[in-house]
This record gives sequence, C-alpha cells and structure tokens, in this order.
Amino acid sequence: MDVFLQQLINGLSLGGIYALIALGYTMVYGIIELINFAHGDVYTLGTFFSLAILTLLGVTGVVTGPALILVVAVTIIGAMILCGLTGVIIERLAYRRLRNAPKLAPLITAIGMSFILENLMLYWRGPSPVSFPAVIPNPDVVLGSVTIQAKQIMVILLAIVLMLVLQVFVYNTKLGKAMRATAQDKDAAQLMGININTTIALTFLIGSALAGAAGFVSGVYYGSTWFLNGFAAGLKAFTAAVLGGIGNLAGAMLGGFLIGLTEAMTTQFISDQWSNVVVFTVLVLVLIFRPSGLLGESLPNKV
Amino acid sequence: MISSQRRSGAFAAALAATLGIVFGSILTGPLPAAAATVVKIGVDLPVSGADATNGIPTRNGVVLAVDLANAKPLPGGLKFEVSALDDAVQGVHDPAQGAQNVKTFIADSAVLGMVGPFNSNVAKAEIPLTNDAGLVQISPSNTNTGLTKGDDAKKLRTSHPDVNTYFRVCTTDDRQGAAGATFARKLGLKKAFIIDDNETYGKGLADVFEADFKRQGGSVLGHEHITKGQQDFKALLTKVHSGSPDMIFFGGTTASGGGLLRKQMADVGMRDTKYVGGDGISDEEFTKETGDMANNSYYTVAAPETSKLPSAKAFVAAYQQKFHANPGPYSANAYAAAQIIIAAVLKGVKDDGGKLPTRLEVRQNVAATQNFDTPIGRIGFDKNGDTTAPILSFYEIKDGKPQFLSQLNLKD
Repeated sequence: MDVFLQQLINGLSLGGIYALIALGYTMVYGIIELINFAHGDVYTLGTFFSLAILTLLGVTGVVTGPALILVVAVTIIGAMILCGLTGVIIERLAYRRLRNAPKLAPLITAIGMSFILENLMLYWRGPSPVSFPAVIPNPDVVLGSVTIQAKQIMVILLAIVLMLVLQVFVYNTKLGKAMRATAQDKDAAQLMGININTTIALTFLIGSALAGAAGFVSGVYYGSTWFLNGFAAGLKAFTAAVLGGIGNLAGAMLGGFLIGLTEAMTTQFISDQWSNVVVFTVLVLVLIFRPSGLLGESLPNKV
Repeated sequence: MISSQRRSGAFAAALAATLGIVFGSILTGPLPAAAATVVKIGVDLPVSGADATNGIPTRNGVVLAVDLANAKPLPGGLKFEVSALDDAVQGVHDPAQGAQNVKTFIADSAVLGMVGPFNSNVAKAEIPLTNDAGLVQISPSNTNTGLTKGDDAKKLRTSHPDVNTYFRVCTTDDRQGAAGATFARKLGLKKAFIIDDNETYGKGLADVFEADFKRQGGSVLGHEHITKGQQDFKALLTKVHSGSPDMIFFGGTTASGGGLLRKQMADVGMRDTKYVGGDGISDEEFTKETGDMANNSYYTVAAPETSKLPSAKAFVAAYQQKFHANPGPYSANAYAAAQIIIAAVLKGVKDDGGKLPTRLEVRQNVAATQNFDTPIGRIGFDKNGDTTAPILSFYEIKDGKPQFLSQLNLKD
C-alpha cells in the first residue's frame, strides 16, 4: 500500500508535466485542427531557455529565502514569454500560409519544424545531456509512510493552477470567446469582426508558453535536460490529449495524469520496459469504446 | 529578380570552374610518382555527444600509433594515415551509422584494416560487413561475449563462416560481469537490484553479473530493463527502493541512461546505496552528469590501468606530450590495436617483396599475432579473435574522481 501511494505521487508528478505539454497540443488542435508536432520541442526549448535565464541570474544551485520566489518567477515567466514568442513565430512562418492547404501539408511542415528546433538545440547546447540547477530547496514532506518531495508538489500544483487559469481565460474573457468562436467556424468568426490571425497567434502564444512552464518544471524535477527529450515527451503528451479528448482542456489534463499514473503503476507492478506498451494499449482501448476520448471533443468544450 | 539571376549565373560559373579543376586533375593522370604509397587505417568510434568522452581519447590512441609508425623509416615510401569516422548520431552511438562507416572503409581500397567500434551493438552491425569484405577490424573495447564466442559469433560471420575478421584487445563480458560480481561481494554487498539498457552490451553484461552474483551467494531482488531516451526513473527507483537493496548494478552506458539513473537515486532516498557498473560508466561524462551523486559508484574496465603498468610508461608519456591530457580508459587498447594492424601490414610488405599486401593477407597476419609487445602487455589472439592477455581493472568514484582500486589479470 505504501509503495502504491508513493507511485501515485510519482505518477501524478510525471503526469503533471505531460498535462502541461498536452494543454498546448490540445489548444492548437482545437482551433486549427493541426497536430503541432513541434510542440514537444518547444517544451525542450523551454528547459534550455530556463537554463539560460538561470545562468544569467547566476543561479547554480538551491536558492533560499525571498530570492527563491523572485528567481522562480523571473525564470518561469521568462521561459513562458520566450517559448510563447517561439510558438508565434513558428505559426507565422510555417503554418499560416498553409492554413487553407490540404491537411497533410501543415502536418508534414510541423514534423519539419520539429527537426529544425531539435537541430537548433543540438547546435546551441550540444548533443550531451545538460545539467540543470536544483533551484528550489527540496525537503521531503513525510505523510505517514509516504514521502513527497517539494518539487513533486510544485509540478502537480503548477499543472492544476495553470489549467484552471486557462479554463477561466477561455470561458470568461473576451479573447477566450474569440478563440472559441474561431474554433467553431473561422469564416463566421471573421464576419463577426474577429481577427482570426491574431486569435490563432494568441492560441500559439498561450500553448507554447505553457510548454515553457513545463520546460522549467521538468528541468528542476529531473535536474537535467537533453535536446531530444521533446520527442518522447511530446508523443506522450499528444497521447494524453487524445486520451482525454483532443481539443478539450480538462481532457488534456486528465489524460496527462492518467498516462503518468499508468506508467508508474506498470513499472511498479509489471516492469519498466512494459510501461509504453501498457500506455498505448490503454489508449487503443479507450479509443475503441470512446472514439473521441474520455471527455469527448464536443464543441462547447473545444477551445 | 535580376540580382538573383546574376547571382545564380555567378554560381554556375564557380561550379563550372570547380568541376574543371576536379576533372582536370583526374584527366591529367595519376599522382606524381614521388608521392608516398598511403595505407589508411579506418577508425570507427563515437566522437560526438555523450559518447565522445570515450571516443576521442580512444581515437587519439590510434593517431599516436600511426604518428609513431610514420616517424620511423618505412619501406617503399609507405605512409600510414588515419581515416576516422563518427558512429554517433545525435550524440549516441548508432549501429546503422557504424555499418555505413564500414561500407565507406570497404569502398576505399587504401584502407587495409580498421580499429573500432567502441560499442558492442555497433560491432554486431559491422562484423557481417567486414567478414564479407575480408577487412580486418580490431576493437579496443567491445566486451559483449557473443561477438567472438559460440553460435552468436558464427551467425555474425555471414559470408565466410570460417574466416574471422573481428578481433579485440579487451576481455569479454563473461569475465567482466563475473569479476564485477566478485568485486561487489568483496565490498560486502549482498542484495542487488539489476537494471540494464536492453542493448547488446548492457543486457549481456547484466545477465552475466546476475548469474555470478547469485552463484557467489548474493541475492538478486529484481532485474529491469530501461528504454532508450527514457528520462523518468523515479517510478522504477521507488520500486527498487521498496526492496531495500544495498547496491544497484547497471548494465549499460552513461549515454543510454546510466548517468540519469544514478542522479535520480537521490530523489527516492537512495543517495547512499552503492552503484556498480561495467566500463560503460567509466567515462568522464558520468561524473559530469551525476555531479555529487557520482560518489559511491564503482565500475570495472576491461583494460589495464595504464598509469600503473610498467609497459605503458612510454605510451603514457608520448600521449601526454601529444594531446596534453591523460589517456582515457581505452586509449592504450586502441594504440595496441593500431600497432597490431601496422605490424601486420609491414609484415605483408616484407613477405610480398615490397608490394602492398591484400586485405586478406593483413587479416591473416593479424590472426597470427602472438606475444606482441604493446603498452597493455604482451598480447596475441586465440582462435576466436579474443586477446590471450585479459586484464580487468576496478575503480571507485571518490570526491567526484575515479580512483583506481585494483587490477585482475585473468591469465594468472
């Protein structure tokens, strides 16, 4: 039982990172029906941006006291802004011209974009894994027989908070309304005076910014980063988005946590090398019985 | 538009000029007669990414051997040259790239032998090719047992089952794994959890360790395999921790997860649990990646510690002078491998009355190597292509630096 609870925490922390990446996937899909394969690499770019900001701030280890809040805030917001801008640039350069092209064209472009980002990171930081400073103090919180690390709490909380903020933004603001309108019908939205170029750019900005936040979090959580991490993480996050119902914000969140949990539990009760097999088996089973994901991709929920 | 046309015109002119030079030189006939006859020694090692901290010092060993050979007067204006290729793709050794490199060597008739590869799974992809072409290859560091011994080895010699083109100057994992188990038992470790990277080398080594550790009275709590590119080991380590082992054995390399795994042990409260591995975690990258978690790690290397070997003194001095660094764990092995190929070529030249030997003759001379003096001792090859002087070294990482512990000569 203790081990079960411990793995629950491990799974939720891993799932939190998947969820943050999945939110970006699902937002972009929701609005232009594009699977943005470059999104996983934007997430990795987020770890490298965070690392660059931390280096600028002179942070090499754990920060304590009031400085900690400042460092975390500056780094996370900086990484979010930089990743957000990267997303906007990608959309402007690669996807906008193809908006009315056959679906396959932007999809292949997205794969190409992914390779470009990977190779830029390879050029920037080299092909070896790069160490990431610990930044936050990491005391163990002991609850009975279960030990939770401070950074695990950070991952889980941040994922939930950002998802809620996003939910409020999409459903309770004017810009959010514009996004939902664009997602439903681009032409009608345009006729109603919505600037769809701006709205789609905004979607990329927010989705990529979330990947930036996930980048910072994963850097702190794992203490290292590698230019190819985005491939595997992106694939899992995409699976999470599909599992929850692509285009659905709460679904992406749920899917992320479910996949993280499935991986942790498979490792514990079957074997580590089977975790991917089980994750994708779960995906297939869910899609057989609920083709549009657990929470569905019903339009009102669509971003 | 006009400017771009002009630019493309200029480009075409430049291209034509370049082609003119290239074809012109071909048309003007063979190279001047005074030019030396070049014999190339192919080198296939991973020299970029996480594997580079192993690959580069190893390649340097070959470069040094070739330089020293060229410094002596060679018969018939002969000159040796290193033709080095990288088998790492995106920072990790890659069997397909290794095979591609070997094809490049085979296509170049000046290549009479090659040193490499570094990793056993790359060797698996290369041996059928060199076997087919009759090109001799000597690996400084492949330890997987099946590359030379038993049915596995026979299956690799696809074109000429009776002709072996693959040799190695290090010992094999059946011995490295067994020695690792003995070593762990000597450290007083009783309960081990084994993790490997599911590669030819890593899994092979871990399996041998498991069998021997059990045979020597240790208990094995579990044996798990990790996936390439895996980043999260917390669930796996939580599972490992729940059995409270006193050591983890890792079969694999730093690049295939050995570094990250060690680093994340701190997160699940296994900071003080001992970490034992093979030569795959003997690179500098391991200490760099794991930081303060590097301590309490132990590993074996299938080569002698050159700084402790009287026969290696001259080699170490020459290496330091040329590269301004200490040799890596497999530099001396690569040096020895190159020496053997050079000697085989020179013997061929002598036997053929000054003519260059064929690849098969070079292979034959390499296979016949006995009592050959190298920095790593007097070595020869047995009928499988394995060294007749297997030596293993043991290390512990203390204060972030590898400390040599002891050496085991399996011939004694």
